[in-house]
Amino acid sequence: MMEALGVIGLRGMIGGAGLTGFMNSSVSLMELLNYQFFQNAILGGLAAGFACAWIGLFLVLRKEAMIVDGVAHTAFGGVALGLLLGIDPLITALGISIVSVFGVSHMKRKGLAESDSAIALMLAIGFSTGLIIISIAGGFSVDLFSYLFGSILTISRSDLLMILVLGMVIIAFLTVFHKELLAITFDERGAKMMGIPVDTILTMFNLIVAITITLSIKIIGIILVVALIVIPALTALQLRASFAKTVISTILIGLASVVVGIIASIFYNVATSGVIVFTMLLIYLTTTALFRWMR
Amino acid sequence: MEKSGIDSGVREIMSKDMVIEVKNLSVNRSGSLVIKDANFEVLKGDYVGIVGPNGGGKTTLLLALLGQIPKASGTIRLFGKSIESFNEWERVAFVPQDATNFDANFPLSVRELVSLGRLGRKRIGKRLSKIDWDEVDSALEFMGLSEVAERRIGELSGGQKQRMFVAMALVRDPDVIIMDEPVAGIDAATQEKFYQKMSDLNQKRGITIMMVSHDLSAVFCRMSKVICVNKEVNVAEIRPDVDLEGVLRKAYGDHFHFVFHRHECKGEFKA
Ligand SMILES: Nc1ncnc2c1ncn2[C@@H]1O[C@H](COP(=O)(O)OP(=O)(O)OP(=O)(O)O)[C@@H](O)[C@H]1O
Ligand SMILES: [Mg+2]
Repeated sequence: MMEALGVIGLRGMIGGAGLTGFMNSSVSLMELLNYQFFQNAILGGLAAGFACAWIGLFLVLRKEAMIVDGVAHTAFGGVALGLLLGIDPLITALGISIVSVFGVSHMKRKGLAESDSAIALMLAIGFSTGLIIISIAGGFSVDLFSYLFGSILTISRSDLLMILVLGMVIIAFLTVFHKELLAITFDERGAKMMGIPVDTILTMFNLIVAITITLSIKIIGIILVVALIVIPALTALQLRASFAKTVISTILIGLASVVVGIIASIFYNVATSGVIVFTMLLIYLTTTALFRWMR
Repeated sequence: MEKSGIDSGVREIMSKDMVIEVKNLSVNRSGSLVIKDANFEVLKGDYVGIVGPNGGGKTTLLLALLGQIPKASGTIRLFGKSIESFNEWERVAFVPQDATNFDANFPLSVRELVSLGRLGRKRIGKRLSKIDWDEVDSALEFMGLSEVAERRIGELSGGQKQRMFVAMALVRDPDVIIMDEPVAGIDAATQEKFYQKMSDLNQKRGITIMMVSHDLSAVFCRMSKVICVNKEVNVAEIRPDVDLEGVLRKAYGDHFHFVFHRHECKGEFKA
């Protein structure tokens, strides 16, 4: 086991995306469950998949999905800063994500920039700052690579703990404010007139979006976070069902893709985040085709 | 001292029945005057029709009453409280003119949408209870939407959509319902039923109702008060001894003829 983990760890670092090479040996799915790296990956993946899918449905319906991409790229600056200062990069990334989510929504509210250009601006600032920090810090770091493309198979217990705690915060928020968020998403002005504290809830929602993005960086990587957030919702929306059914399908699609992606990537020795997103795309395409054909 | 004490006592009694009190209200939109010096009152149990030509300022007036757009001058009091400090919005339900222009692909069933009406200041973060859902189902039934309750909101007809938003307003259990052209684009028979439902709500449940309508006969047959809006705002009780045509001419112009025959009204009268 130690040997296997060692291999995964090393290749995970080099490949950046958890390229593993040990499934040539005959390890069954059941045996895999005994490996701590696998347990960590599945738990972390489920937490991220659950949170991303649920929050993603609201973001897609609010037509704000690209905020995720912008903020995730900005978080790259945060990761670089953390590596430079020797702080846990997830903590600095969280800080930067929060700043940039509020930056985008502030610019949007003040009419300083149309939302997509505000996002582009944030993305540019964060990513370029990240690049400068890296070059000052002394060039390319393999560690940085694992944040760009995710390294779910090599997350540590402490990473996992952070992911689970953050995941709990997100799910608690969504559970409590689910109905209010729905009302705001459907008709913000109407929700305000009903006496729902729209501004407060949206501020909390922004915070939760930043947390979700940070949580997913280790799992799926900065580049593909947006896929984890958008594709399950897009797929579930094809079902043309009620909101309750849409939420449940969104979450199930998110969870299933993560689990299938992790296992398939181990058995077929390919980049995990790539396989997770690919699984999602397969489900999306199948669902779309099926429902087009049925109608 | 003595006198002002009596005055405030009288005021107190009167304000109990006062739903809306407007004094010298003017409202601008994009810099031009749209509502000029309006004065009127809406009392508890009133059934008010708001009429006037397109662009006359009906929607503007309602939005000002709801605090959605700023006023240029004057005072608005809701349930006796100045609009600036009014915070009992759960008592007021509003169905906007463009309510039915929602994203047809939004994933909501009719029942789910109507249930959102149960949210509000007092219920933040609380789950909906059995009582809430019972309210939802009875509102759906009252508006004749039980059969389509599980359908997606985008799959309703225009008239069904309108009724859905009224059902959503109803579940809020408001003291006043304000509707901006709730029957626009609805067939005559369904309109008739709609006005009948609103009369029921008004008379049996004592809910104050205000609605914008272009159907003058319906207003005069069923409602208790009419507000004519064309920059100037004129208000009249709908009674046999009131010259309603004269009031309408102030809004629609001197060439306007509307001869109202009470005996042409089907069903009951309000006044
Ligand atoms: N959002 C807006 N910004 C600026 N001016 C507006 C706006 N909406 C309406 N107006 C103007 O205000 C005036 C009154 O419009 P309003 O919508 O209140 O009329 P209305 O009586 O409701 O008409 P309709 O019967 O067509 O609904 C019109 O001259 C209109 O052009
Ligand atoms: Mg209007």
